[in-house]
Amino acid sequence: MMDALHRISRDPLGLLGLILVVLIIASALLAGLIAPYDPIKLNIIDRLQGPSVDHLLGTDQLGRDLFSRVLYGGQVALKVAFISIAAALGIGVFLGMLAGFGPKWLDNIIMLFFDTIRSFPTVMFALATVALVGPSLGTVIAVIIVTSIPTYGRVVRTQTLTIKSNEFVMAERAMGVSTTRILRVHILPNVIGPLIILASMDIPTVIALEAGLSFLGMGVKPPTPSWGSILNDGYTLIRNTPWPIIAGSIPLVLITLGFTFLGESLRDLIDPKLRKNV
Amino acid sequence: MKVRPTVQTGVNQKRRQILKATGAIGVAATTGAFSEVIYAQGKKILKIRAYGDLRSLDPAFSQGVIDEEIQSCIYSKLIQYKPGREWGYDLDAAESIEQVDATHIKFKLKAGIMFTGGHGEMTAEDVKYSFERIINKDLESTNAPDWGTLREVIVDSKYEGTIVFDDAYPPAWNIAMPYIVGNIISKNAWQAAGGKVDTTTPSVSGPYTHKEWQPKQKTILARNPDWHGGDAPFDEIHIFPIDDENTAQIAFESGDIDCTRVSLGSVGNLKASPPENSTLEEYPSLFYVWVGMNVENEKMADINLRKAVQHCIDVPSIMQASYFGAASPSTGIIAPGLIGNRAKSNVPPEMNIAKAKEYLAAAGMSDGVSLTLDVLNKAANVTTAQVIQATCAEAGITLEVNLHESGAFWSLGDSSAGERYKDIQLILNRYSMAPDPSYATAWFVTSQKGIWNWERYSDPEFDRLEAAAKAETDNSKRDEMYQTMQSMMEDSGAYRFLTHEATPVIFRNTIKPAFRPDGLPLIRGFTSA
Repeated sequence: MMDALHRISRDPLGLLGLILVVLIIASALLAGLIAPYDPIKLNIIDRLQGPSVDHLLGTDQLGRDLFSRVLYGGQVALKVAFISIAAALGIGVFLGMLAGFGPKWLDNIIMLFFDTIRSFPTVMFALATVALVGPSLGTVIAVIIVTSIPTYGRVVRTQTLTIKSNEFVMAERAMGVSTTRILRVHILPNVIGPLIILASMDIPTVIALEAGLSFLGMGVKPPTPSWGSILNDGYTLIRNTPWPIIAGSIPLVLITLGFTFLGESLRDLIDPKLRKNV
Repeated sequence: MKVRPTVQTGVNQKRRQILKATGAIGVAATTGAFSEVIYAQGKKILKIRAYGDLRSLDPAFSQGVIDEEIQSCIYSKLIQYKPGREWGYDLDAAESIEQVDATHIKFKLKAGIMFTGGHGEMTAEDVKYSFERIINKDLESTNAPDWGTLREVIVDSKYEGTIVFDDAYPPAWNIAMPYIVGNIISKNAWQAAGGKVDTTTPSVSGPYTHKEWQPKQKTILARNPDWHGGDAPFDEIHIFPIDDENTAQIAFESGDIDCTRVSLGSVGNLKASPPENSTLEEYPSLFYVWVGMNVENEKMADINLRKAVQHCIDVPSIMQASYFGAASPSTGIIAPGLIGNRAKSNVPPEMNIAKAKEYLAAAGMSDGVSLTLDVLNKAANVTTAQVIQATCAEAGITLEVNLHESGAFWSLGDSSAGERYKDIQLILNRYSMAPDPSYATAWFVTSQKGIWNWERYSDPEFDRLEAAAKAETDNSKRDEMYQTMQSMMEDSGAYRFLTHEATPVIFRNTIKPAFRPDGLPLIRGFTSA
């Protein structure tokens, strides 16, 4: 771990990514301590104010402090990202290994399931689901889980197919080791590395999807702060004040850059071909 | 500015030529030279925005204001709405018209009103055909209710006729004759076309003819040289369907349109720095916005809870947050300027949390209660919902705001579309309105339960009054009846009236517009300044 951090610290972009990620995660986790105001408390008199000492990013149309809403919006974004990616990763790894290691008929069924889900454009699928069951944080998470499973599942399946024909796996089988143990002890550690990179690079995509749905009013319910709903307020108020747009977009830009730089740096770290200092 | 195409050889030459041409187009666009080009062609064109696209040119199947804005330019009516700040009418095809008794209106047409396409002169037969086909059950016109108790039109002579009603129907003067169902069409032309038309029309008699419809792009009207009123002021009128008001404002600022309604949020900025050579005018609107409560829902069945919600809603805050202070609190569903408008509501616009808590205690819900508020997903509605959510929380009412896209929202209270109407607790709603009070109250009678009456409010006395007021010819009595009806609605606790909104419009000073008192454009009345 320390070695990985040391290596990342020697890559300027990787270091920048790490700093951004840590900064945003910390600001979201500590929102309760840092935020100067209650993010949902109305103050109609002080509405649509520009940045000031009292309100660092100004206020929205209901007089709510935008800085506080951005901080709490980070909690929503990270909650959606971590829960949905962790769940999708877990299910994807399980199904992928099953498809790769199991009998051909099971592989076919799982692949059919993956292909069916992947055939829906993600945003369209999300909009249709929200229209059917109604918008909520749970719906957003569920949609992201379902649409992300095939991505991870396919990677794991391919890796498993490659590894399962290796001699050490055949030796294990010859010794009568159970399938579960082979998958858990021998295959999983070999496939999980690239997946972590993939997942870290998916985080900004997932956050952008949540923000997109909230922008369309199909994500979190009011008055929960979300970067997407702040952006939507900004879009509506663009002729009155630019600050909600700025407040909503800055964290999205930063978190996208942060996770992308960090993910790329991690990938370089893991891929020996790209490791310059080995 | 003209860009003369020349034949060039060589790639570089072509590239430079393209760059030059592009530059020239850019300069032309930024300096407004395109409008010069339009005038250089010798055409005076009015470009105006409508909030939706054309759906029908048949008055029997006209889909509200959008189609009527076009139809009123191409067809004639006995009377037309008078442009200005007060509701009234001007004679159009009628030389004279009068209410001879409660159920009879006599009219005499002007001589020499010609239908285009060789369909001859307009006679009382055409009026009879135009009005009676709307109420003909075989035609299944969606606009039949606008004619109320119309029985028939008797043709007295070539130009004279009598409109006969079964019962007195005063709204005929406000929402029938000068509006959608008052358009007079050519009997000959319509019969030759098979009895109804869609997005083309065989014959017109108004100041403009329908030249072209480019779906989702624009409708083009051209001057009718045979119009009985003389020369129409514009050679062409281009009507652009633009749903979003902010987009329409951008189109106005870039010179693409000459007149549009703008959003209430823009009013402050437009007043502070108005676009060059343009005028902003504010009109009251007839729309009515309210929070409805489903009296048949298990939780909302308790009148004390409904009254608690009424007192939790702070209307002045909503006016500030959602309407940027450009709209005023309403006292009911009938706007100022119309018969039946109330001077004040029973529940004051300001919230009264202490009173709300008293009602909650009476309902046995002192510990708080959780309710849902269904909302159409539009910016002003979402803001309103959040203000309501915040003020309700002060009294201990937790509101969950459910946003719906328009398709899902407009089927919520429809009992033929499933069981979802039962789950409605609170709903933020907004209905459009015509300039007669009967048009507002008609949706809240018992028979409208599950159609437009989503609160499922039912009171036999209200139903009786609604029917009686529609047939009452004494305006002072009508006024009293409609006021009573709104009081009954409010006292039931099922309604918290919010606002009638407002209609800010902006237009270029090169034109002289004509608006109804509610700010809707009367396009046929537009002239150049």
